[in-house]
Amino acid sequence: MADLEFERRLEREFAQSAAFSDEAAFCRSVEARLNQGWTLRRWLIGASGVTGGVIGASQLIMTDFIHRVADLSQGSTRLVESSVSQIRPGMSLLGLVSTDQIVVWVAAGLAIIAIGFVLTRVIEEI
Amino acid sequence: MSGLQSLVSHHDVDLANLAAAGDRRAFGELVRRHAAGVRSLLRRMGATPSEADDVAQDTFLTAFESVSEFRGEGAFAGWVKKIAARLYIRRIRREKRLAMIAAESVGEEAPLQKTDAVTRMALDDALIQLPLGERMAVTLCYGAGMSHSEAAEALNLPLGTVKSHVKRGLEKLKARLATSDNSAPTGRLAHG
Repeated sequence: MADLEFERRLEREFAQSAAFSDEAAFCRSVEARLNQGWTLRRWLIGASGVTGGVIGASQLIMTDFIHRVADLSQGSTRLVESSVSQIRPGMSLLGLVSTDQIVVWVAAGLAIIAIGFVLTRVIEEI
Repeated sequence: MSGLQSLVSHHDVDLANLAAAGDRRAFGELVRRHAAGVRSLLRRMGATPSEADDVAQDTFLTAFESVSEFRGEGAFAGWVKKIAARLYIRRIRREKRLAMIAAESVGEEAPLQKTDAVTRMALDDALIQLPLGERMAVTLCYGAGMSHSEAAEALNLPLGTVKSHVKRGLEKLKARLATSDNSAPTGRLAHG
């Protein structure tokens, strides 16, 4: 038998594998380990996302972002009020001004969620 | 259930693409298809049954992590077997057993091992009689599809040593398989 022919035969025989009686159990254990790893990864990603969101939000607060937004919001409210008073003298938008702080906090909350979401997606992609 | 049945009809490359997108059921189908091949390869390299199963599990976890690197140029079976072979070599290197392969004297043959196999293929019977270095080199090149250079790199042995291990191993296997051809055939059989 030529060497090349024997080598081909050897490759064919190596490609054949014996059947294992515990094949199904082995596959189940691999799948269980895959699922275990996946669950752990999802928890880690979630925790990282929340941590990132909190850090991002605290950075925003520490850089005086909320006061700047509040000032901006108050400025725009005053502008709207003066415009409205020109059209209808006597009408007050005082109620609108009092909601400025709520708007700012809602915006900050949405920012936390958005940053958390973005970080989670980024980590998942990595 | 119908999802699983549809996966059965998929080609390995399609399953690998699905697995790369995070489909663990698709990867499960790949495990079902190639587990026996990987476990057999590791046993042929000289791993004990429990060692082979440990490394085979690690192999599939590693393969899942890096399945996006599988581009489908070669067979999935070959790709995953190379991962298995490298993980097993890393393990025996860590346990300082790899040095035994390099230090093994020429012509010294391994004693016939008893395994948990009820019956084996003729190839398995012939392989376990080879010295470990020859057995490992032949299995890496013909079972895991490595080139001589890849095998030398994986085993951290000079290329010439691997080539001579392969040459001697092939000669012995040829003689032993010729003998087994003349005796009763064993066929595809079950490991315990």
